[in-house]
Amino acid sequence: MRKSHPIRRVVLAGAATVSGIVLLLSLKPATDPASAQAAGGAAPPVAAQSPQGGAQAAGSGTVTGDAARTQYGAVQVRLTVSNGRITQAEAVQAPKGGQSDQITANAVPKLNQAAVAAQSADIDAVSGATYTSAGYKESLQSAIDKAKASAGSSQNSDSQGSGATQTRTVTGSVAQTQYGPVQVRITVNGDKITKAEAVQTPSGGQSTNITANAVPKLNQAAVAAQSADIDAVSGATYTSAGYKESLQSALDQAGG
Amino acid sequence: MTTTLAGGRAARRQTMRRIRPRRSPAVPLVIALWAGAAAVLWLWWDNTPSLADTAAKILAAGRITGLLAGYLMALVVLQMARVPALERRVGSDRVARWHAMSGRYTVCLVIAHVFLTMWGYALQAGKTLGDVVQQTVDSVNTLPDMGKAAIGTGLLFLIAFLSIGGVRRRLPYDTWYHVHLLTYAAVYLTFWHQITTGNEFAVEPAAKTFWYGLYGIVTALVVWYRILTPIRLNLRHRMYVEAVIEETPGIVSVLIGGRKLHRMGAEAGHFFRWRFKAPGMRFSSHPYSLSAAPRPDMLRITVKAIGDHTSRLRELKPGTKVWAEGPYGAMTAQRRSRGKVLLVAGGVGITPMRALFETLPGAAGDITLLYRANSTQDLALWDELAAIADERGARLMYAVNSPDGERPDISAERLRQKLPDIDKHDVFMCGPAGFAQSVYEALRGAGVPARRIHHESFEM
Repeated sequence: MRKSHPIRRVVLAGAATVSGIVLLLSLKPATDPASAQAAGGAAPPVAAQSPQGGAQAAGSGTVTGDAARTQYGAVQVRLTVSNGRITQAEAVQAPKGGQSDQITANAVPKLNQAAVAAQSADIDAVSGATYTSAGYKESLQSAIDKAKASAGSSQNSDSQGSGATQTRTVTGSVAQTQYGPVQVRITVNGDKITKAEAVQTPSGGQSTNITANAVPKLNQAAVAAQSADIDAVSGATYTSAGYKESLQSALDQAGG
Repeated sequence: MTTTLAGGRAARRQTMRRIRPRRSPAVPLVIALWAGAAAVLWLWWDNTPSLADTAAKILAAGRITGLLAGYLMALVVLQMARVPALERRVGSDRVARWHAMSGRYTVCLVIAHVFLTMWGYALQAGKTLGDVVQQTVDSVNTLPDMGKAAIGTGLLFLIAFLSIGGVRRRLPYDTWYHVHLLTYAAVYLTFWHQITTGNEFAVEPAAKTFWYGLYGIVTALVVWYRILTPIRLNLRHRMYVEAVIEETPGIVSVLIGGRKLHRMGAEAGHFFRWRFKAPGMRFSSHPYSLSAAPRPDMLRITVKAIGDHTSRLRELKPGTKVWAEGPYGAMTAQRRSRGKVLLVAGGVGITPMRALFETLPGAAGDITLLYRANSTQDLALWDELAAIADERGARLMYAVNSPDGERPDISAERLRQKLPDIDKHDVFMCGPAGFAQSVYEALRGAGVPARRIHHESFEM
């Protein structure tokens, strides 16, 4: 029957828990050694399948891109290439756990389809899966590069640069406002914004009116300003703020 | 009554063989608890290759606290499953203290888990600490099983709030108890989000199996020992109130009849949780010790009338049906490690001591009972104790306040003077917390090792 010291016990338990968790966190590295290995390990089979013996038609087989790290986990794309065409794209690694499961389940099939349709890494990000999309595009680009390299000199590789000077569209991340999400897509030619449009806006009740009024003005303002530094539309403060946030994210992606 | 074994080596060996103490399994259980916690942390460690930024670190802290909370939640329920190994070997009082302690800790972990996870999600979505509330609402609306988890967590917080010392004292026991039972609902509701959104379980099927196994075993134990075992016990023994006897002012004995009561596995020192099917007493059970060794046709409890419930015991009509759960408690002859035993009773704490005084095997002079009460009128069951002492050659002492209200001197010196070989004794003690504490210190001062002082205390 020892004397109990409730306060001392509480302090001890709290301190032990906090320091234990901090210790565990600090022992984890900032970059993932496993995914670097996975990417390295994936390379030899690609080389093995690459038609260097010349028996196969140029650019057939499967190629696995480098794993791209995103905030939520690694993304790695494998392509099946037949006669220089991408016939199938799949993600061998994608973020998992918590919210990521849903996002991955939703986004990856769309990205796979888009990759096959576009035959390039120039695909739109899936809304709500900005990071996964960015990682997917990165790994996809690396897979395409590998496929081209292994296809040898017979393939023309001038379109490799993923079209820095081409027209392309970039979708910003979703900005949550009090009245609902706002998401902006911009069309960029070179580094000029040629068009801005809202793919998601608040709707329902008063919001429908406000959106109908504000969004066209914001679209115009974005093209005119060539930046996210645009004035808010009066009477649509929240929507304007969300618009600017999403526009900035689209510009960041286009710039990167 | 017990026959005294007189002399003879064989007889002595017989006695000694019976009193090899059964060790409390507390230490191995605590080791198992830590091993389980380590396994849970390993789940996280194994599934987390790297932590890139602050958001990832905060989210990881949220996952660790969540995993630990999920693990402890199962154990908190297990501690109240009335598993005989816990109730009778470790001791109901100690297990109840573990339950309270781990319950508080778990609630703190849940708070940390909710806050850290939502903060991590908010940071990953590019928002700040200020958006945690909005992020929580979004996550509850969009993630699978999070609605259930939110309700369960709310319940848990309500239960925790009502269990805070100051709040609990202001509540009727029944209200507190029935709200506390909602913990089962809370655990059920929060279980599913662990499986569906928990990173470790989504990725690793073995982890999911481990988790289902843990919660499955706990559920099975609860159903078996809290529901089926009492039903079987009461169907078999069909107990009822035989008579109510006023022992001294304020102390009543309830005689309970039934069938084959000696087959319940009850021993002196055990208690049952009793529920009397009388108005106002039907819905909650109360722990009372047996105050006499169980007989085939009768059990007896002796209770001091201090609360609502205990006062109502006096008005019980003979024939009232009784629902009992038990036997529980670790303060029985199994704890004994020596031939000589000192029993110390404070007030109504006499009840288990009276039963042990009657049944503990021992030669003349082996058993001593020290009975502390306010006055000689308050020495309940005194006549019985005197008769037992007479018959067994056991020593019986009492200590009461002097006529001017001065407390008797129970100090190390005084104990040594009365029992010169006190350090060779096992001591069983039952009484109010303050009394127990001061006697404990006196006993330690008189040279009794701590492992031979057996005490049960239901103060948290």
